[in-house]
Amino acid sequence: MKRVVITGIGVVSPIGTGKDVFWTALLAGTSGIRPVASFDTSRFPVHVGAEVSDFDAKDHLERQKPESMGRASQMAVAAARMALADGQVRLDGVTRSRVGVAMGTTSGEPIFVEMYNDAKKAGGEAGGKSEAAADVFAKYPCHVIPAYVAAEFGLRGPAIMIPNACAAGNYAVGYAFDQVRSGRVDMMLAGGADAFSRIPYMGFARLGAIAPERCQPFDKNRKGMIPGEGAGVMVIEPLDAALARGAKIYAEVLGYGTSCDAHHMTAAHPQGEGGIRAMAAALAQSGLTTEDIDYISAHGTGTPTNDRIESHAVRTLFGERAPLVPMSSIKSMLGHTMGAASAIEALTCALALDTGWIPPTINHEEPDPECGLDIVPNHARKTDPRVALNNAYAFGGNNASLCLARFEAA
Amino acid sequence: MPRIVVTGTGVMATPGTGPEAFEEALWAGGASGEQESTRTPGYTFADIGEFDPKPWLGNKGVRVLDRGTRLLCIAAQMALTATGLSQESSEQGDVELGLICGTMFGGVHSIASFDWTGITDGPSLVSPMDFPNTVINGPAGQAAIKHKLRGVNSTICCGLASGLYAIDYAADFLRFGRARYLLAGGMEEVCEEAAEGFERMQLASPTHKARPFATDRDGTLPGEGAGLWMLETEETALGRGVLPLLEIMGFGASHDAPASPGYQVRGEGGVLAMRHALENSGIGPEAIACIIASASGSRTGDAMEALALREVFGARLADVPVCAPKAALGECMGASGALCAIVAGMALRRQEVPPTAGFTTSETGLKLSALPQKIDGEYGLINAFSCDGNNASLVIRLWT
Repeated sequence: MKRVVITGIGVVSPIGTGKDVFWTALLAGTSGIRPVASFDTSRFPVHVGAEVSDFDAKDHLERQKPESMGRASQMAVAAARMALADGQVRLDGVTRSRVGVAMGTTSGEPIFVEMYNDAKKAGGEAGGKSEAAADVFAKYPCHVIPAYVAAEFGLRGPAIMIPNACAAGNYAVGYAFDQVRSGRVDMMLAGGADAFSRIPYMGFARLGAIAPERCQPFDKNRKGMIPGEGAGVMVIEPLDAALARGAKIYAEVLGYGTSCDAHHMTAAHPQGEGGIRAMAAALAQSGLTTEDIDYISAHGTGTPTNDRIESHAVRTLFGERAPLVPMSSIKSMLGHTMGAASAIEALTCALALDTGWIPPTINHEEPDPECGLDIVPNHARKTDPRVALNNAYAFGGNNASLCLARFEAA
Repeated sequence: MPRIVVTGTGVMATPGTGPEAFEEALWAGGASGEQESTRTPGYTFADIGEFDPKPWLGNKGVRVLDRGTRLLCIAAQMALTATGLSQESSEQGDVELGLICGTMFGGVHSIASFDWTGITDGPSLVSPMDFPNTVINGPAGQAAIKHKLRGVNSTICCGLASGLYAIDYAADFLRFGRARYLLAGGMEEVCEEAAEGFERMQLASPTHKARPFATDRDGTLPGEGAGLWMLETEETALGRGVLPLLEIMGFGASHDAPASPGYQVRGEGGVLAMRHALENSGIGPEAIACIIASASGSRTGDAMEALALREVFGARLADVPVCAPKAALGECMGASGALCAIVAGMALRRQEVPPTAGFTTSETGLKLSALPQKIDGEYGLINAFSCDGNNASLVIRLWT
């Protein structure tokens, strides 16, 4: 099996577009949470979200037109372009049938279902329902997201969407890891994307999961999550190929682990049973123990139950060492970018391993004794981590944890 | 690398419910449902119609499951029971048992209905119970809860190639030792939103009859169903005294990366997918005893597949029996690849491919027939090519 590394990073986020803008904002503790702008929330009990405000698809698309695709796809293509540029990948020097795309999402492009319903409500053919139905077929199904990425860059390897909801990004990176290490492909673009839209907002609002103002993961007085949007994409290739082309190596992918609670669609297992199994499987596959972990990127949504159960799972697995391992949630700044979240968190781990800095959990005021971990409150910290563990949990009790390590040339 | 084998099948599709009925109907040569759907008036498609999930799923917790999820759960129940892996008597379920589900639309009707309630009755009146059905992996998650599947639970969306991708994804998880037993395949329901989209995209046959590869073909019919295999390593199966039916050999995939939607008429993606699948199986095209084609009645799509097959098989193609089961299944989208793989497995075991229902003549020169055709060999090739740019091929082998 080949060793696998991350050599390019692209990101579109509520706190900024582009790796450098994003990373500076993240370490500064910037919040991307604002009043929702993309639809009317007057009939909702909550009104804030984490939308991307500095993104114009025209700046990022060359072969395809922005209006030919939905917003999640636009952000995915943009993140992919930035990742390829950041990784200084010369596509004319590669066999394009050996470069693939793996993406994750929660909702895909629900805007096309919403437009169909809006047309249906408006009534008859005049409402444009038939036109909207064509878009439901051609632009809604979530395989379109990796397809538009493949089309933009002429990549002809496998193009897969793994829509495992809010853990999808880790699954996509894990799939890419397997494809690359087994030598089936020469390179993968992997990540996740989701666009802000009323369907998930309505659902989370109805569950009473959305916080009224801000996101405070692991704080005693946390009030919930904040829906967000974005895309994160990484260039993933074999170590030997990266070294041969003199690429900058952000991090090495060591392994990943998955599990399913099979307990409840929207609530995690009360003891975090599946979360523990996913972390343990990731460590085992990576040949590591909890002793080796220097940073945990938490799922940390900010809901009372998620943060309590995730803390419990980490304490159970890490034992006495748990409070000594820094564990932050960047969802305090980005909100919950859904299918993009664990991809953006994975690239955050890669940047933390590369720069030595770990991002904070902002909005922290009062520790929650039920959590009881070092959540890197409010300020970034330089700790030079060597190994990071990225946790992601999703609807359906779906769990995935990913292990990344700093690359050190022998 | 360990060998990955098939030990059981679950299938819920228009020709039949359960592997035996499905096989019998396919070999009898019946065409897909050509009647207007009673569920979705105004549309003609291969409709399973109303069905009662109770015999498979009991009463508990079934009401909240949408149509597609019920199809998936029933197919899962069949495969679990057939392989002695039902978790009904287990309190916790098995952490080494998982599900990989290919789909194209997921529960799009659930998603649209949820949104419809929100924009008509208001966002405070949507049901919190319905919200989890609006995420694309909702059906797979619900099936995990229903059947206590605590291992990996992934949904795979690769358009019309989703089912084959899901089988390959599962095989890799088993090869890398991340699971012990995996249900893998695909699920798709036809609903108003999908059927209307099909018509508006001008994919549907105006004569309401899918005639794959036929000279007079004029489009496809949407179809629905769920098909799952139970996959495990050969060692696991033999170790627990279960005789494998088939072996999963190589998979290949290529995206057309088109600048605009539609079949890539030169068929290069299909050629790459088939060649990679053969290469990953360690065999050449001469070893293939039968081809289960992706063709669905599309003028350009079927021509593209025929062209790609000629490129890969050369002059020998005229002697290789081909079957296009979508004549009987309809285009079951995310379930198609898995259902076609199940057909291929049955064909290898019978040493006979089923009829391509209603087949008359074809300009493609392929060895097609409206009657069953004898085959002689252990390897079968399954294609899932797609107007969305996804092309996937899988080679399977008769386990002996």
